[in-house]
Amino acid sequence: MNPVKRLFDSQRHRFSKGGRFEAFYVLFENLESVFFAPATVTSAGPHVRDNLDVKRFMFLVIVALLPHYAFGMFNVGYQSHLASGLPLDFWPMIGVGLQAVVPMVVVTYAVGYFWEALFATVRKHEISEGLFVTCALFPLTLPPTQPLWQVALGISFGVVIGKEIFGGTGRNFLNPALTGRAFLYFAYPAQTSGDAVWTLLASGRTAPVDAFTGATPLAIARATESGSIVQAWADAGYGLTQLFFGLYPDAIGASCTVLCIVGALFLITVGVADFRIICGDLLGFLATAALLNWLASPVGSPYLGLNPFYHLLVGGAAFGIAYMTTDPVSAPAMAGARWVYGFMIGMLTVLIRVFNPAFPEGIGIVILFMNCFAPLLDEIQLRARLRKRIPNVR
Amino acid sequence: MEGAISPLHLSKGYDLRLSGKPLPELEDLPPPRHVAAVAGRLRFVKPRLAVNFGDRVQVGSLLFSDKNRPEVQFRSPGGGVVSAVNAGPRRRLLEVVIALDAAEGHEEFPRITDDDLESIGRERLIELVIGGGLWPLIRELPFRDTARPETRPSAVFVPLDNLDPFHPLPRVYLEGHERLLSFGMRVLERLAGKPPVVTVCREHAEGLGKQTGWNIRELTGHYPAHDPGVLLYRTKTAADQNHAWFIEGQDLLMVAELLKSGRFPTDRIVTLGGPAALQARHYRTRLGAPLSALAHGRRAAGEVRLAAGGVLTGSPAPMESYLSLLEKALVLLPEGNVSGGFLAWTLPGARSPSYSRAFLSSFRRAREFPWDCNRHGGRRACIQCNFCTQVCPVDILPQLTYKAILAGEVEESLAHGLLDCVECGLCSLICPSKIELLQTLREARERFHAEMS
Repeated sequence: MNPVKRLFDSQRHRFSKGGRFEAFYVLFENLESVFFAPATVTSAGPHVRDNLDVKRFMFLVIVALLPHYAFGMFNVGYQSHLASGLPLDFWPMIGVGLQAVVPMVVVTYAVGYFWEALFATVRKHEISEGLFVTCALFPLTLPPTQPLWQVALGISFGVVIGKEIFGGTGRNFLNPALTGRAFLYFAYPAQTSGDAVWTLLASGRTAPVDAFTGATPLAIARATESGSIVQAWADAGYGLTQLFFGLYPDAIGASCTVLCIVGALFLITVGVADFRIICGDLLGFLATAALLNWLASPVGSPYLGLNPFYHLLVGGAAFGIAYMTTDPVSAPAMAGARWVYGFMIGMLTVLIRVFNPAFPEGIGIVILFMNCFAPLLDEIQLRARLRKRIPNVR
Repeated sequence: MEGAISPLHLSKGYDLRLSGKPLPELEDLPPPRHVAAVAGRLRFVKPRLAVNFGDRVQVGSLLFSDKNRPEVQFRSPGGGVVSAVNAGPRRRLLEVVIALDAAEGHEEFPRITDDDLESIGRERLIELVIGGGLWPLIRELPFRDTARPETRPSAVFVPLDNLDPFHPLPRVYLEGHERLLSFGMRVLERLAGKPPVVTVCREHAEGLGKQTGWNIRELTGHYPAHDPGVLLYRTKTAADQNHAWFIEGQDLLMVAELLKSGRFPTDRIVTLGGPAALQARHYRTRLGAPLSALAHGRRAAGEVRLAAGGVLTGSPAPMESYLSLLEKALVLLPEGNVSGGFLAWTLPGARSPSYSRAFLSSFRRAREFPWDCNRHGGRRACIQCNFCTQVCPVDILPQLTYKAILAGEVEESLAHGLLDCVECGLCSLICPSKIELLQTLREARERFHAEMS
């Protein structure tokens, strides 16, 4: 017999009715179901059921996110060594990345799990695996310099306010990871915005070496008053390759466009992400940016004239499109509404980037904003659809 | 009209690709010693017993009828002594068991010849079918309860096959009975006032349709393409067409035989299949035969569930139970009440069947899978994966309809097409949150039905 199975069987009596830890039976059951699928059989309806469950569904998202963690640890170390003037050796850079990222992930999961477990125990429902996706997404959107207590506070806000008070995964209307991220942005702007927060400096250093700008591509784009933004990026060392692979100071692991493309294709292939949302996003981004291009020459602002495809390469656009907008719970349910939802996200993100001086990046806020409109979009399409049905009421 | 209509293709729906498909060979089972009329798995029927324990009955004697609808009669599939009247919780009648005599007596009913059919009135014909105890075989959309003889349907369908695994193939049960079915079709036309539409899925259509006078509609696509409710949903053009009748091919043969021979028909061709079935094939047995007559000695080792009437739409039945009037399939499934392997949910899953593409199995097109009765996951809230919408054959949005029902919004759930639901069970089958969508929709339909009648 499997030793893990033996352990669960030997401890079961302590958590069963009358046992010492009876109150924590939900937790015990949940932990067991992580290792061994329960023996529950069908009692009603069709006798057989699909092998897919929410655990598998969410697990696939985490699989798609793992490369981002690998990349994130590398990039945090790489940017840190660049900024600190240290030699660019692979393993020391990974070491810096591990040191920065692992504590954030541990804190996120520990605090997130605590809240979910608390609500599950009190409400006597099972722990939903959506939490693990939230906790996997959240650190990837943070700057590597975020203090751990703020990480704990952010995930608490995201899980409790973004999800639990509405009834947990499936009943939330906001994306919990983004809710937590937005909370940190507004509550602690000093630690979540500006040029300095995106790069971890080696201990003992207070400022980066002179050659290192530290500014994110989006900050550079906003600051460029005349000339070409692409040229300004190139001057800062961000060529097309750097932008495509995400090798610039940014949130941990969210900047790598190529991994986002791979992840999005993976999630569409396994049927977890809806291609409609992603295509809507892309259309919204490209169409709006192209429209601004058309306005650019009379106005003369470089940001208006930025090639639409560059909008997708910089900042959190690709990450948000691949993993945040495709969250099925906070997106609309209907197919047509999903196209509109995606398009609006793309459009509003570009507009905020170009016209709003307060936010260098808008996609996180825009997704939360559109989350609020998802039920309305659904309702509009639902009414149109139900009108077309031939009534069957007697 | 014949051959003029192109096949109707259902692109939604889903095929289980269940292993244990019955062979097309037909084997005669030895005659059972008991048969029964089953009431426990009948829907919409409140049985009122007409016999007592120990009574002598003949083939065709009245055993019980519906309290509210006297035309819904259930007659004895055998002649002998009532040896048991089994009841379930709250004294609900489960079945009336008959110990068969060596020489069974038959109740004699009036006979109808082909020529009589030209002159006989509709009312008289209805009387004969009701009196012969076979009226419950004719069912009515949208609720699939027994047809109301006082109404005229907008259409009448005769589905010859059923894609819910595994049901008898039309070429097996129809062999040599084509003329009888033609007779049944003429009876049905008189009853309904409409020429019946015979439906058959293309893969089962081979060798059929050469009979003149059958208005055959070929169907293609996934389960439940065979379902008359699906066909009606896809062909209706106005709300007054919602009210249609249907009777399955083998059932229509029974009605025809009753009228032709003047005796209550007792033969039934049923399939035994499924992953836990040995010798999966077609069997000729008695109406109301014990399930053990079929399954005993033909089920695999281990805990096995008996699904009477199909995997997706059938009901679980104990081995001691009997075939009910409408059931023509017995599927044996592994119970699957064992916990899964260590971290099994992280594996690629080449052998884990799924509607989604989340397992490697989804990319292996030709395989058959031994589905079991495990639920394969814990109950969660709906995550709007939309699989139920993608699979629903009648374009309901099951997850939204389900939410409307739970919120008590009866009107809204009806506007969603609750009554178009064909109860195929696919939404419950594929739900990753393991929500009992079918059960919720079905109960809502039953509540509405109770209010209507």
